[in-house]
Amino acid sequence: MLGVELLSLVVSLTPAEKLNRQIVRVLTSFFCGKLDDMATIKPALNGLATLTLLQSFSPVEAVVTIEAIFRHIKMKSIVQDQRFKVFSIIDSVMAFHRDVLKNMGKQFLDGYINLAEGEKDPRNLIVAFAIARVILIEFDISGHVESMFNILFCYFPITFRPPPNDRYGISTDDLRMALRNCLNATPAFGPLAIPVFLEKVSAGSRVTKKDTLQTMAVCLPVYGSALARVSARKLWNALKLEIFQPVDPETEQEALKTTQILVKTIYMDEEEALEHDEDIQGLARDACEECVHILKEPEKTQAKPAIKILCTFMTTTPSVARYTISQAVPHLVRLFLTPDEASTREPTLLLLSDLIAAARDSTKKSSLEDADPPLLPYKDEVLGVFIVGLKLITTRNAALSGLKVMATTKRLLSDEELGFIVHNVNEIIQADGEELYESIEAILEVLTIISDIAPRHVVEQTLPLLSSSLPDTAPARDDATGREKCWQTLTTLSKLCIQTELFEQLVIRLTTKLDLLCFPSSEQMLSVSADPEPTAAYAHMILKALAQALSTKVKGKHPDIAKYLDRLVPIIFNVFVSSAFLSEEQMIVAKEPRLVQVAAEIINFVVQSVPSEKQRFYSVELSKAIIDGNVSTIAEGFQKAAKSERFSIFDASTTSAKRNILALLSAAVISLHKEARLSLRDVSGFLEMLLRWVLDIADNDIQKLAALHIVSSILNRQVEDLSVFLNTKLDVYWNTEIVNDASPLPRRRWAIKTWIWITKALLVRKHPLAMKLTEQLYDAFDDEAIGWDAAKAIGQIPSPDTVLTKANHAEVKLIPLLLRGLDLPDAEIRSNIIDTFLAAAEGETPEKSLVAEHGVTLVNAMLKNCVSNDVSSTQVRISALRYLAVLPSIVRYDILHPHKATVLRELAKVLDDPKRAVRKQAVDARTNWFKYKG
Amino acid sequence: MSAPGHFIALFHSSQMPGEIFNPNPVVFSTSKSAARQSDLLAHSLWVTDSSQSEDEADDVEPIDQDEIYDLIRSIYDPEHPNTLEELRVVSAPQVTVGPNSVKVEFTPTVPHCGMSTLIGLCIRVRLLRSLPERFKVDIFVKPGSHQSENAVNKQLNDKERVAAALENPVLLDTVEQCLSNVGARGIV
Repeated sequence: MLGVELLSLVVSLTPAEKLNRQIVRVLTSFFCGKLDDMATIKPALNGLATLTLLQSFSPVEAVVTIEAIFRHIKMKSIVQDQRFKVFSIIDSVMAFHRDVLKNMGKQFLDGYINLAEGEKDPRNLIVAFAIARVILIEFDISGHVESMFNILFCYFPITFRPPPNDRYGISTDDLRMALRNCLNATPAFGPLAIPVFLEKVSAGSRVTKKDTLQTMAVCLPVYGSALARVSARKLWNALKLEIFQPVDPETEQEALKTTQILVKTIYMDEEEALEHDEDIQGLARDACEECVHILKEPEKTQAKPAIKILCTFMTTTPSVARYTISQAVPHLVRLFLTPDEASTREPTLLLLSDLIAAARDSTKKSSLEDADPPLLPYKDEVLGVFIVGLKLITTRNAALSGLKVMATTKRLLSDEELGFIVHNVNEIIQADGEELYESIEAILEVLTIISDIAPRHVVEQTLPLLSSSLPDTAPARDDATGREKCWQTLTTLSKLCIQTELFEQLVIRLTTKLDLLCFPSSEQMLSVSADPEPTAAYAHMILKALAQALSTKVKGKHPDIAKYLDRLVPIIFNVFVSSAFLSEEQMIVAKEPRLVQVAAEIINFVVQSVPSEKQRFYSVELSKAIIDGNVSTIAEGFQKAAKSERFSIFDASTTSAKRNILALLSAAVISLHKEARLSLRDVSGFLEMLLRWVLDIADNDIQKLAALHIVSSILNRQVEDLSVFLNTKLDVYWNTEIVNDASPLPRRRWAIKTWIWITKALLVRKHPLAMKLTEQLYDAFDDEAIGWDAAKAIGQIPSPDTVLTKANHAEVKLIPLLLRGLDLPDAEIRSNIIDTFLAAAEGETPEKSLVAEHGVTLVNAMLKNCVSNDVSSTQVRISALRYLAVLPSIVRYDILHPHKATVLRELAKVLDDPKRAVRKQAVDARTNWFKYKG
Repeated sequence: MSAPGHFIALFHSSQMPGEIFNPNPVVFSTSKSAARQSDLLAHSLWVTDSSQSEDEADDVEPIDQDEIYDLIRSIYDPEHPNTLEELRVVSAPQVTVGPNSVKVEFTPTVPHCGMSTLIGLCIRVRLLRSLPERFKVDIFVKPGSHQSENAVNKQLNDKERVAAALENPVLLDTVEQCLSNVGARGIV
């Protein structure tokens, strides 16, 4: 026995080229001779396994080996790893000498079936299934269909579950797929397989149902249309049950998919033969009738699965789709026009809308994409029904969703018909009233879709309608309704005018209105001067609407935003710069800081969307404005004042209104690319000047923050040129402005804010100094006057902001610092810090989580923060609960598992929080922890 | 006294494949909570970005009818892919809240509905997980809406039977399925 083992080992270690034919032949017959002895069977199999892989292993040896295996091996009396060798040997022979096995014919098939029967080990089965697939596809199995069927279908459905600490790396799915590849390897299995499938699908567990449905989906096309046709009734009855009474949504989906494949399998063959308008017979017809019958009660639950089936039919074959639509659409149209009860109209329209959406999607990504849409023959009736539905409040939203589908179906509606829809939608807008706002989102969606295809209708019909309802002068102070209406109209406009041409119109109309409001004619001047606030508030709304539309466009990365650097930004500058000048001599509307802030937002949106090439030209002009006070080129517009005069923002003698303009300039500066930075002779000097200006001259928060934003963004982009500033000037600043208790308190507070913005700039770049500057703040904690502000600063440094956007994960380095901050008594700081954690959680997964190592600390800190007490606030509790709710999705279960019970227990207390919003978050967080499992 | 097992048995009988108690109930459209009209402009001339103003006020907001209804409206019916709200099995007026007690009444879609116990159990589990412990929760079928009204009510309000039922993994799994979307609620 030792000899055989030694020999087998030697063979496995000998280089392949040393083992010639002669040697292989001798060795093969030697090892085969040892297969009949239980004591030597293991090394003999090992030896043979090595030999079968060799090139010098010839067909003669292949036959000898296989015959010896069939003769001597009793699978039931050997252990798993030996059986694995047997399968491996057969697998190798199958790979290199397949014809030899084919020539063995019945002898091989009988032998193999006998051998493979009853195998249970998943590792062996993976090999056995691979061998079986080759046999089924390539061998003549006509005499062995039933026995092959028996040794394969006995495993279906796979119920194997890998043990915990699975060492073999074979999953349930691996086995399922391998088996499935056998079950669908030959049409011969069809008649035997169908009854098995039917039984498993109806009696099985959820998992079995799903597996069976998926297996049917891959088998039915192989088994062929003839079998599908004769089994259609039985199959449909089983599938139907899974759709009308689904155990879960996933199974329902699988059943629908299998139904689709069944119908395709039945009708694909005859598709060619069918005439265009010929009726279809068989399953599709019967099932269609059944579903249409159910749709007679559109308000009942069963109507939904029925329409899902009809929708599925749309993606089978063209003739079935044609037939389905010809049955279902006229039926639903009739039902809408002559309902038993008015209340069934809404569900009818929703069903119709689902069906035509499926019709629309059925031709996507297929050769039919350029063909006429399937709905075309019924277009007029369907459009008519939706237009009627639009007029009634109860069916309006359903009608709008149908119209949306029609408008998005290619080549369905003519330009004229799209105009007709716009016209009818406009009538609702015009009628106004309370109920308009129930449908406004859906209305906007339809108009937006149409404005993408045919903007003319919306530009010519809807825009004038909406903008004409905006008054030229502001609603009076006591006219709250008028103000409300203005804002609603502006909101509608800002949502509607996103498409290129519409936005262009919006900018023209709103900037004209803005100019009129900010520079009233002499007749109006008197009344506006008497009470300017309503006018300022109205101008503010207009700016807000522009900012909202731009924000949507920025999110959609619209390329047309850039051109508004020439069309919108100068006008905004013009209005505000002129106002700043004129404010010295007369009452002015646009000097109100709130207006300046929205104007800054607008400028920021546009400039950030301008490519750096174009920004470079702009930044030259911007530099002139900032350094020399020459605004003539960046502020071109209706008003002359901005062009002729010069102003020096940083001069101590300038007015506050003029200083406010820095907010607009800053909004442009912070969105410049690195290559398009300001042209400054002495960058460090400029920053020092700004820091002084913040503390000595600037007289309100807007100005100060504008300056700090400029400092921060310059530092962020040009840090390498500023080492002197960072290494020496900052130390001086710290000593003279922050820790110097002779300095007045407000001044020291602004010095800390400055510190925050400098540190932020470095942190985003992961500059090593960021940590040092943050740590330095801890030194100021003991200071009686500013300790509090220094503590707050810790929370603010890593929190997201709109200046240094593209927040990256730089914060992560700060985790230990932030965790310390969570113990601070101030609720606002804690809330800030938790929000920072929440922002960092986006994109985290249990597999790749940067907070995992602090998971336990975080759980405890959050639990402490979600309790209602004197040092807590609603906001901090909500934030802490939101973070607790997120943790299960970003930290592996094994890390937090020991704390699950504690979290659930502690959260149970929070369910009694005095605030509703907190309780809601607590319920959600607790639900997530209940679901948190390994 | 029937053993807790009776609860499970009753549930199991309703799990027989293919047996459906109400195959085709009516689905009602649900009320999206009406978009609150911004009343900002009535108080102030200015539009603002957020309305986080009164959050920090000291007033206590007690748990009320709407809040409890909001917790249970999105529970799925065990037989249909619809919510209890859509099938009008539950509604806000059927919830009564006292200082330390909650009463929930629900209406089975058909009087012989074998799913009633399960529906009630789902409501109980949801409230068990979402309400403070001080609340005593009573769950009843609407009087006259079910053949075995008393039996169902008894099972739903017997602590031991409920606890025993929830130890049955198959039953718990079904309950979890019904609760899979409860976070949706009505007000988004």
